[in-house]
Amino acid sequence: MNCNEAVALVAAHADGEIDRLRGHSLTKHLRGCAQCAEKHEAVLALRRRLHAEIEYHLAPPALKQRLVAALAAAEPSFALKTPSPISRWRWMGAGALAGCAVTVFAWMISTALLDTRARDDLAAEATVAHVRATLGNHLVEVASSDQHTVKPWLSARLDYSPPVRDMAASGFTLVGGRLDYLSGQHVATLVYRYRDHMVDVFVRPRTVASTQPALRTLRGFNVARASGAAFDWIAVSDVSADALSPFVEALAREQ
Amino acid sequence: MPAHARFRDLIVQHLDAGYNLARWLARDADDAQDVVQDACMRALKYADSLQGNDARAWFLTIVRHAFYDWCKRNRPSEIAHDDGAALDAAIANPAMGPEPSAIRGAETRALSEALSQLPLQYREVIVLRELEELSYKQIARVVDVPVGTVMSRLSRARALLQRSPMLHAIRGQSSGGES
Repeated sequence: MNCNEAVALVAAHADGEIDRLRGHSLTKHLRGCAQCAEKHEAVLALRRRLHAEIEYHLAPPALKQRLVAALAAAEPSFALKTPSPISRWRWMGAGALAGCAVTVFAWMISTALLDTRARDDLAAEATVAHVRATLGNHLVEVASSDQHTVKPWLSARLDYSPPVRDMAASGFTLVGGRLDYLSGQHVATLVYRYRDHMVDVFVRPRTVASTQPALRTLRGFNVARASGAAFDWIAVSDVSADALSPFVEALAREQ
Repeated sequence: MPAHARFRDLIVQHLDAGYNLARWLARDADDAQDVVQDACMRALKYADSLQGNDARAWFLTIVRHAFYDWCKRNRPSEIAHDDGAALDAAIANPAMGPEPSAIRGAETRALSEALSQLPLQYREVIVLRELEELSYKQIARVVDVPVGTVMSRLSRARALLQRSPMLHAIRGQSSGGES
């Protein structure tokens, strides 16, 4: 390594940003070249001083409190809980209003954004459908834990009849079903509850084998998929992958 | 919904980083608070743009945007002057800033002053690299420039700090160590 090459790498080396091989040949060069070694040491010295002397400004506690309150105030409209009691501080009241407006706006923006991103990606599309249903509280169009109620409701609205089973034995209780629109077709969505989590299972007639991985995490949601003899199954939930994957595989296997 | 609570925790967790960046960019505690407050509201709005695990870089990106918008409204001259010519002028004339006499003898203060006198583009990469310890890649994402630009800005920023008339000590120390 010559000096020109070394000089170009000195800063990256001081920042720990070059690979081991080049790091090794640079170190060798620095050992034999006082000029480059000095430049390297100058960067290190500056970094040491910056770390030691530059103040890291922590957020003032009052600011933290205010923002936590404002963020919490925005929560009810996300969660569809009862609104929090009117606060003592006018700021918080204003924050709640702004929060609600922001939330509605965020929902509109985010679903629009996700829609464009979701094209060609079934898992992303399923996640969008799940998020939209949970945010909009439209999880269930036919509410029933009875598979003999859910199945006919779905069959009557689709050109196929999805298998519907209660999986209460493994902790997943059937809550109901609804229709969704994925990849340009109507699909059946079975809604299960697992402990306090909602699980959406999208069922559609089996198509070509997917190249997508069986398990993905999208924006914090786990998306597990499995294919049975006649149907593709996609489960979306914030349930842990350890529970979600066996569940969707069991559905696909025993249809 | 737990998803929202998680999201809120995420913002709170990176509030210090966001404030530190805003504070160094705005160079004023009250202005920094306004910027961070705006950034939090934006973070809610753009919650769905958060992908992967790098919530800190994501939040810092939002803080930076909030700052630049605030700056456009309140100190347009600062951004307008941050073009190439002004940067070169700042480099050619490093004596700008507080009188050296006011800070002589207070070395710690001197480095802070030198940093706060750096043009915005250089100040932000130093803060992101040295205080937030972000990688080149993360900085590139936050500042929205290619990694090569991050590297050249960092190197100019460091050269400016090393050459700062307030900081002869840095050169002295480094050459003393090796030769």
